[in-house]
Order: sequence, then C-alpha cells, then structure tokens
Amino acid sequence: MRIARNTAATLFCVVWLFPVYWMVNTAFKPYGDILSTTPRFLPFPFTPANFVDAVTKSGFLRDLGNSVLITAAVVAVAIVVAFLAATALTRFRFPGRRGFLIGVLVVQMVPVPALVIPLFLSLKSVHLLNTFLGLGLTYVALVLPFTIWTLRGFLHGIPVELEEAAMVDGAGRGTVIRRILLPLVLPGIVATSVFAFITAWNDFLFAYVVMKDQSGYTLPVWLVSFSTSTGTDYGGLIAASTLFALPVVVFFALVQRRLVEGMTAGAVKG
Amino acid sequence: MMINLGTSLKTSPPAAAAMTVAGAEPPPRRRRRPLLPYGLLLPAAAILALTLGYPLLRLVLISLQDYGLRSLFTGVVGWAGTANYIAVLQSPDLTPVLARSIGFCAALVIGTLVIGLGVALLMRQLGRRMRAAVMFALIAAWAIPNVASTLIWQWLFQPVYGVVNWLLTRVGVLGDLTQHDWTTSAFSAFTLVWLLVVWQSVPFVALTLHAGLTQIPRSYYEAAAIDGAGPLRVFTTITLPFLRPILGLVTILSVIWDFTVFNQIWILTQGGPSGRTTTLGIWTFTTAFSKNSFGQGGAIAVVSVVLLIAMTAVYVRRLVRSGETI
Repeated sequence: MRIARNTAATLFCVVWLFPVYWMVNTAFKPYGDILSTTPRFLPFPFTPANFVDAVTKSGFLRDLGNSVLITAAVVAVAIVVAFLAATALTRFRFPGRRGFLIGVLVVQMVPVPALVIPLFLSLKSVHLLNTFLGLGLTYVALVLPFTIWTLRGFLHGIPVELEEAAMVDGAGRGTVIRRILLPLVLPGIVATSVFAFITAWNDFLFAYVVMKDQSGYTLPVWLVSFSTSTGTDYGGLIAASTLFALPVVVFFALVQRRLVEGMTAGAVKG
Repeated sequence: MMINLGTSLKTSPPAAAAMTVAGAEPPPRRRRRPLLPYGLLLPAAAILALTLGYPLLRLVLISLQDYGLRSLFTGVVGWAGTANYIAVLQSPDLTPVLARSIGFCAALVIGTLVIGLGVALLMRQLGRRMRAAVMFALIAAWAIPNVASTLIWQWLFQPVYGVVNWLLTRVGVLGDLTQHDWTTSAFSAFTLVWLLVVWQSVPFVALTLHAGLTQIPRSYYEAAAIDGAGPLRVFTTITLPFLRPILGLVTILSVIWDFTVFNQIWILTQGGPSGRTTTLGIWTFTTAFSKNSFGQGGAIAVVSVVLLIAMTAVYVRRLVRSGETI
C-alpha cells in the first residue's frame, strides 16, 4: 500500500515537474542540441548562450524596462490606495461601509475578458490608449478588490487599543497611522504587494490590447510576438520565458502559503 | 446596486443579529471628523468606479450601439437597439461556440477537480519528504506565468523537435507521431489546451483542498477505524461532508476561471483550425478587434457574463449572504 502511494506521488511529481524541467533544460542547451530530432535530456555541454541571445534581441531590454516600471508603479499605487481604504473600513463605522465591502466582493466575480472592449474604448475616448497611465490604471483596478480585502483582514487583527493609547499620549491620526498601524500591518502589505506584482507582471491581454506601439510593449507581449515572428529560435524564446518567470517564481514561493490560508479560512467560516 | 444590496440585507433577521455582533468589534468613533473615512475611501472608490464600474455599464451600452470601425475614428456612434443581440443570436456560429465553451469548461473543471482532489487525498497519506516533493511540484507549476507556460507548451508539443511527440512515438501505441501538429485538428488542439490549463489549475485546487483536509480532526478517523468502516465509507461519511464548503468554493472558482480562459487558447490556436477552437472569449475578441464590430463583440460579452452569473448564482448568493457578517 505504502509503495503504491509513493509510486503514485513520484509519478505525479515527474509529470508535473516535466514542463519546468524541460524549460530549464532547453534554456541551457547549445542551439544545435535544441533542434535535434532526438531530444537531449541533460543540458551538456552547458551554455548560457541562449540567455545572451534573448537579452540582446531587439526590444527585450526596453520591454523588460517597461514591465518593471509599470509593475512597480502599480504595486505602489495599489498598496497606498488599498491601505487607506482598509483603514477606513476597519477603523470607522459609516453609512455605505457594508455596501462598499459587498461591492468589492462581487466585483471580483466579473470575468476580466468581458472588460476588454469597454476599457479599450473608454481609454481611447480619453486618449489614454498606448500610454502607461492607461494600462497602469487598469491594473490598479484589477488588483484593488483583492488588496483591499486582504489588507482589511490584516488590519482587523490589530487591536484598536494600541492606537487609542497613542492618541491618549497626544499622537495625531497621521502619526498613529504611520507609527502604529503601518509597521504592524507590514506582513500584510508584503503579501498583497506580491499579489499585485504578479497580476501586473503576468498580464498579457490588456497590454496586448492597450499598448499597440512596439515601444510600449511589456515583456509578455514581447514574448508572444517573438514566438510568432521568429518561428524556430526556441533557445532564445525559452531562455527569455525563463527570465520572465523567474521573479514570479521567487516571489510566489514567499507567499503561496498565505494565499491558500486566506482561501480556506474564508470557506470554512462561510 | 451596491447600496441596494446593503439596505436589503439589513431587513433580514439574521443580518440584524450579525449587525449587532459586528457593531461590537470596532468601537464607534463618530468624533469631530465624520468625513475622514470617506476621504480615505475616496481614491479606491474613484478608481474602482472609473475602471471597473464605468466599463461594465459601458459594455451594456456598447452592446446596444452600432459601434464599428467608422465610429472608432469619427467618434460618432449610432444606436442599434437590439440589432447586435439579434445578429449574435441568429449567427450560425452561436450554437457551436456555446457548446464548445460549456463542454470545454466542463472538461476542464472535471479534470482539475478529480486530479486535484486525488492529489490532496494522496498528500494526506504520504510521509513528510514525499509530501514536500509533491508540494514543490505543485508550487512550481502554479508559479509559472501563463504566457511563459503557454510558450513552453508550444515547444513541448512542437512537431519534429518537440519532446512529447518523441516520447509518444517511443511508447509506440499511436504510431509515428514525430511530425504530428497538435493544432491541426479541433480535438487534438483542445487536448493540448486542456493539458495546459489542467496542469496550471490543479495546484490551487490540490493545495486548497489539502489545507481543508488538515482541518478535519483526526479523532473522527480513529472512531471510524474502531467501528470498522472501510476507506470508501470513511470518505463519504467523514471527508466529503467536512470538505463540502471548500469543494464548493473551489468548483465555483474553477468554473469562473475555466470559462474565461483566453491567453492559452489565443496563443496556441488563435481559435483555429478554421474557428473550431473558438470559445465565447475568443469569439468576443475576434468580433471586436479583428472585425472591428465592437457592438456585436459587446453583445457576446454581455451574453457570456449573464451565462457565467447563471452558472454561479448559488455561490454569489452565498457571497452576498456572507456579507452580513462583515
């Protein structure tokens, strides 16, 4: 019985890890071995040539820069806006609070592809097509519901007495937020930043529709256009995909436990 | 709509009970500045209203307009009434697209849930090292961005140089497949996309269900073992009832995600061969952006949203009800 279970688990790991293994294996293989009708299962002789090839391809560095810029801006704006909203939602009672929260929950259910057409036309009518501002605003809106919801959960866990004590000692609201709330909620900010980062960094659809000038492509759009334009340069393509995936994998490993916990905690209570 | 939901909730008795409980948590702070919370909320509300709320309304408007290539340049838009909807409903593409979207979504959801549940149950039975290995495999597959994994898929299944065709040929059941192009027939193209989406979706389902399984008290299983219950009996009387809420959540999320799969199909097949992997999402996109018929594209998008709402109505109702305890 034990052997059967371990065999099943091993088989699963082999199948599920195979694409990742094949990505890394391909990325480090010399070009001649990639285009061989009998695949080589180990990247020997080992070479970083594909990475050099990818990085020096026209547009890669520029679009990497675009991706970094837009992702960083989205994370910063989303966190500030969500933190302010979460503070309002956990530290005050006011008419419309419940309605706002339910709205945030329901809005997460909207299928994103349905928003492409109206967003495209709306951005066009305010002349924000082909601009980082237009794309960035879109991403902020996409991540806000989740970031507000998660930060609200974190803030909820911090006792109000701490802030009240500070106020008694003469601290103003601004000081309370900066000196008391912000440091305590830092783990939550890290987790939600990673989520916002991944959403903006990974998006293909909106960048594909909004950024029509090549100079404004983000990395996913660059990757896809590279794959259709150059047919056979799989070494460069897979190496570039690896570089693109790397930061996500690293950040993801940091927070995945929290994502799953958040999901199940809500489900069991509901 | 949001406000309506809020007020209608207050009238139901359980909601009222929840209100008093919730009211006890953050102490009321109506001091000198009652406007402060609105000020804090304003940026979020403004962004959400402008970039999610407004486009949703506009989607409905566009679907009632004659929005084509000319409107795109002149900015002049005429009303079309229900013409877009009639055109969509009478289109010979509608039935095959609907059947394809729903069938493919069902195949994805079933595949993901069966494998995900199987892996979650398996993980509970494994030793620590083996479990860590399975978790590692799951997280690795989950973390790869879907554009990257789609391109990897293209390479894995590449005719002539792809390793999967080589392996299948080696196994030999299906004959020489080295030249096989997976995107030339509808069935094998869907298989290609199915494998990709299931590979990416199983991790979330398996890890979430596994987290749920760890919350079931061991004592129940011990009691069942003493009473001599077999594994199937244990599964149906202990595991399944405990897991039901999480299973429900995971199913609904899978339906939403799998019904709206876009990138993977678009990058791998563009809806081809000759439109035979075109799902609702792809149809919306090509109608709007390739044929420049934004009005009709909008109508298809509205139809998809309505369908999705119908499929997930039960969950949405529960969501709104859980809003009572916020």
